Amino acid sequence: MNCGANRLVAAFVLLAVLFPGASLSLSPARAAGRTDSSWPCAQPKVPQMSIAAIWDGPPIADVGNAWENNPALKDLVVRLAARRTPLDDARKAIAGFITGDPAERQDKAKKLFAGLFDTLNQQRADVIRGIERIDQKQKDLAEKIRSDVATLRELQDKPEQDQSKISALASEVEWSTRVFEERRKTIRYVCEVPTVIEQRTFALARSIRQALD
Amino acid sequence: MWLRFTLVPILSMVLSGAASAYTAYVSNERSNTVSVIDTNKWEVVKTIKVGQRPRGIAYTKDQKYVLVAVGDDDTIQMIDTGTNQVVGTLPSGPDPELFVEAPDGKTLYVANEDDNTVTIIDIASRAQIGDIQVGVEPEGMGISPDGKVLVNTSETTNMAHFIDTSTRKVVNSVLVDARPRFATFKQDGSELWVSSEVGGTVSVIDPVKHAVQQKIEFKITGMRPEPIQPVGINITRDGKTGFVALGPSNHVAVIDGVTHKVVKYLLVGQRVWHMAFTPDEKYLLTTNGVSNDVSVIDVTSLKVINTIQVGQLPWGITMSQQ
Repeated sequence: MNCGANRLVAAFVLLAVLFPGASLSLSPARAAGRTDSSWPCAQPKVPQMSIAAIWDGPPIADVGNAWENNPALKDLVVRLAARRTPLDDARKAIAGFITGDPAERQDKAKKLFAGLFDTLNQQRADVIRGIERIDQKQKDLAEKIRSDVATLRELQDKPEQDQSKISALASEVEWSTRVFEERRKTIRYVCEVPTVIEQRTFALARSIRQALD
Repeated sequence: MWLRFTLVPILSMVLSGAASAYTAYVSNERSNTVSVIDTNKWEVVKTIKVGQRPRGIAYTKDQKYVLVAVGDDDTIQMIDTGTNQVVGTLPSGPDPELFVEAPDGKTLYVANEDDNTVTIIDIASRAQIGDIQVGVEPEGMGISPDGKVLVNTSETTNMAHFIDTSTRKVVNSVLVDARPRFATFKQDGSELWVSSEVGGTVSVIDPVKHAVQQKIEFKITGMRPEPIQPVGINITRDGKTGFVALGPSNHVAVIDGVTHKVVKYLLVGQRVWHMAFTPDEKYLLTTNGVSNDVSVIDVTSLKVINTIQVGQLPWGITMSQQ
């Protein structure tokens, strides 16, 4: 067996392991939880966070985007929303911000929560769109590998084999398969990010509520 | 002098509320640990390394052990509550998730999702003494206060199966809403409550007539129905108040035990699944799988009064009775 044939066998094995169907491989239980074919994550796709699942403080319907008109508040929102800001520091900053008489504290709490919710919900939506984009690229790449493997097989079945062509295409398949596998690992990691943002939003909202009590 | 030495510890116990100090054990599904919480301090005082994927967890009736189902190890581990060490195992079937003890504390019934059986274990001899064929993918387990009726819910057929524990036969089945997850009796045996995670309801079943007498529905203002997924249920001993954990809605519903109406929704932590009362029923602790914490609900004021960080993906919880 020549080098090209070895690569072809390896590509077949990888194809069978990586995407037995038309898409990424998922366990049947996980796949059953999916309703959207453009969504590659085991976690169910929830496009938007729900205020009601996070916040039981005073209603924020009247706040709108008022938080954006206050530069100090806007800066605080950006700082607290950033995942590099440790939660302990965020809690201290929230406690330092929500001060004054009860009406003032309530007003600040509402605006701060509204700003954080808008910002983090947007961040999360961007991540979800990014996951969908990667998934589409992955499907396109899977199709390309499948097509290249078919071509490779045809080349090898010919009585007169063009070894240089076979070798070049086998290298291409090998490279594409490696990219596919790397991307698959990335998707698994990125799928966790919406939950990480939900956790942060919930933790910040809880701190705002505590600062109000 | 002796008076001072005697009074000081007593006074400090009274002031600190030590008389009501209980111990809660929380299984952390992703960390493969069990967190031990002191309810006097509301703090984790110890973390115990256990097997893979711990979920169902319960004290034995004699309080000597905490049993924890470690699904990926296909067994139930026994934690000695004196030393907080894993000291043995019970022979469950494959992938145990939930189990229930007979009221006499001698027998354990374990749901085995993979082979559609309930395994019966004698706790003292740590041996399997039989099994019962039940519906497809058995999940929730409840037992009547007199120990005569075992109820097992089937995720796939959406049924609650009533099993006579003396004959070990299914005597009746009741259809409930989609994906029944948890079943519990009122203390007086008058009602069985079964939660349906996908259906979004709790069925209140008459355990004598084997009929659904009422369905509790949930509606949280501003929230779509999909995240409202009922799982754990705890009912006070007097049967007057029920609490239902509503999964990714992050809320616990408080139910009037007589009218079966929702009285209040409490925001706890993220993805709330299971709960346990302190024995005096002053507090209810909830496991919140996504926020990785336990919320403490004051049962009288119906307010969340504390949050305790535990391990990754807290799942089940059990409370000492003394």
